[in-house]
Amino acid sequence: MRDEVRRVPEIIVSDAVSRSFGSFVAIDNVSLTVREGQFITIVGPSGCGKSTLLQILGGLVAPSSGEVLIDGEKLNGPRPDKIGMVFQEPLLLPWKTAAENVEFPLLLRHVSAKERRERSLALLDLVGLAASVGRYPHQLSGGMKQRVAIARGLVQHPRIVLMDEPFAALDEQTRSRMWGELLRIWERTHATILFVTHGLLEAIYLADTVLVMGTDPGRIIARIDVPLPRPRTYEMVGSAEAGRLRNQIWELVASGQ
Amino acid sequence: MSAVSLQTRWAWRMVIAVLCIGLWELAFRIGLLNPIIFGAPSLVVKAAMSDGLLFLQAFRVTLVEIALAALIACIGGIVCGVLLGAVPIAAVTFTPILSAIIAVPLVILYPVLVVWFGIGPPSKVIYGAVIAFFPIALTTMLGVRAVDPSFAVMATAMGAPRWRVLVSVTVPLALPAVIAGLRIGLAFIIISVVQGEMVASYDGLGFWISYHRTIFNTGHVYLGIILTLILAVGLNEILSRLERRYSGWRVQTQPSL
Repeated sequence: MRDEVRRVPEIIVSDAVSRSFGSFVAIDNVSLTVREGQFITIVGPSGCGKSTLLQILGGLVAPSSGEVLIDGEKLNGPRPDKIGMVFQEPLLLPWKTAAENVEFPLLLRHVSAKERRERSLALLDLVGLAASVGRYPHQLSGGMKQRVAIARGLVQHPRIVLMDEPFAALDEQTRSRMWGELLRIWERTHATILFVTHGLLEAIYLADTVLVMGTDPGRIIARIDVPLPRPRTYEMVGSAEAGRLRNQIWELVASGQ
Repeated sequence: MSAVSLQTRWAWRMVIAVLCIGLWELAFRIGLLNPIIFGAPSLVVKAAMSDGLLFLQAFRVTLVEIALAALIACIGGIVCGVLLGAVPIAAVTFTPILSAIIAVPLVILYPVLVVWFGIGPPSKVIYGAVIAFFPIALTTMLGVRAVDPSFAVMATAMGAPRWRVLVSVTVPLALPAVIAGLRIGLAFIIISVVQGEMVASYDGLGFWISYHRTIFNTGHVYLGIILTLILAVGLNEILSRLERRYSGWRVQTQPSL
C-alpha cells in the first residue's frame, strides 16, 4: 500500500511558501506535497490564511518567498488548463444561463460554440442539472447555483480543483447532499481536490488527508490522515471514528490560535 | 410584476389624460379660465396648424441638439467612468472633484459657451453634454467600483486577462448603475438644452416658448411645453427599454420607472 502511494506523481508541491501583506504575515513557510488524485481538506480558525494559501496554489496571489510547482512546473499565474477553482459564492454571471456560465472559461479560450455546448451539457449532466441548462441564476436555488459553479470549475477538465468553502453558504441538508455529489464527481473525474472549509466533520467526511492550519502567522500545524473507508456514506459522519478525529482536530485548531 | 395588465394601465392613463384635456377645454369654453394666461387645448391645436407646421422645425432642432449632447455625454461619461473605476488611485483622486463639479451650477458656463460656439445649436449641444458628462461619469465609476471584486478573481482564475475581466465581467455587472447615471444625465440634458434655447438662441423649443410668450401667443407657448414633455417622455421610454434589456437579470420586483 505504502509503496503504491509513493508511485503516484506529486502534482502540487509547495516549497517554503510565505506571503506577507505589509507587515502582516498571512502565510508562513508552508511546505506541502499533494499526490495526484488525492482529496485534501484544509481547516483552521478564521483568518488563518486558508483562502490566501488556496489563492497562492491557484496562481492568483504570488508568494512573497518560496515557490509552487504544479506537475513539476513553476507556477507564475493562473493555469485554467490545469487548475479549476470554485469559490464560496457561486459568482455566476447573472445575464448568462447555467450552460453559458459553465461555458465561460471555454469562451475565454476561443473554443468553438458547438464544442462549448457539448462540454457544458456533459458537465451540467454530471452535477445533476441536465434539466436546468437554460435557466438563469436567479431561477436557481443556492445549491443549484453552486453546482453550476462546480461544473464551471471542471469544464476545462483540470487535473486539480481548488475549492474555497464552496458549501459554506448552503443550508445543512443541501450541504450534506452536496458532499455525496462532490465525492461522486471526484471519483468520476479522478481530479485532485484541495478543499478549504470551516466544518470539521465536512473536512473529515470528504478527505483522504486533513491539513490543520494555525493562525498568526498562518501555517500548517498538523497533517491528519483519515482512515475511514471509501466509498464514504453519510452514516460515517456520526461514527465513533469520525468523532474521535473531530475531537483531535478541534484540539489542534484550538491550540493553533 | 403587478397584477394589473399593461393594457389596463395604459387604458387608465389615456382616460385620465382625456379627462384632464376635456376639463381644461371646458373651463375655457365656459369662461372660467383666461385664455391669455391659461391657454386651451383648441388654441394649442390652432397654434400647431398655423405657419405651415413651423413647430416641427423647432422640435427637430431641439431633438437633434439633445441627441448629439446625449451621444457625446454617454460615450465620454461611460468611457471615463469605467477607466476611473478600474484604476483605484484614479477613483480616489477624482471622486471628490467629480461630485464637487456636480454641485456647481454649470449654467454659469453657458454665457461663455455662447461666446465660444455662437448663438446657434453647437453651444446648446456642448452645454448639455458638459452638464450630463459629470453625473454619468460619476455613477459609472461608482457602479464599477461597487462590483464585488470576487467576480474579477473568478474571471482571472478562469484565464481572463485584465482587459477581458473589465469588458466581459465588471462593466456588464455595473450596467444597472450606468443606466441609472444615464437617466440623471439625460434629464439634465433636456433641462439644459431647452433652458439654453430660452436664454440665447434663434430656434428650438425653448426659443419657441420664450418668443411666443413675449407676444402673448399663449396657444403656441403651451404647444411648446407639450412638445418638450413629449421629448422627455420619449427619452425616458428609451431608457426604460435599455434598462429592461440590460438589467433585466436583476430580480424584477419593482415596476420600471
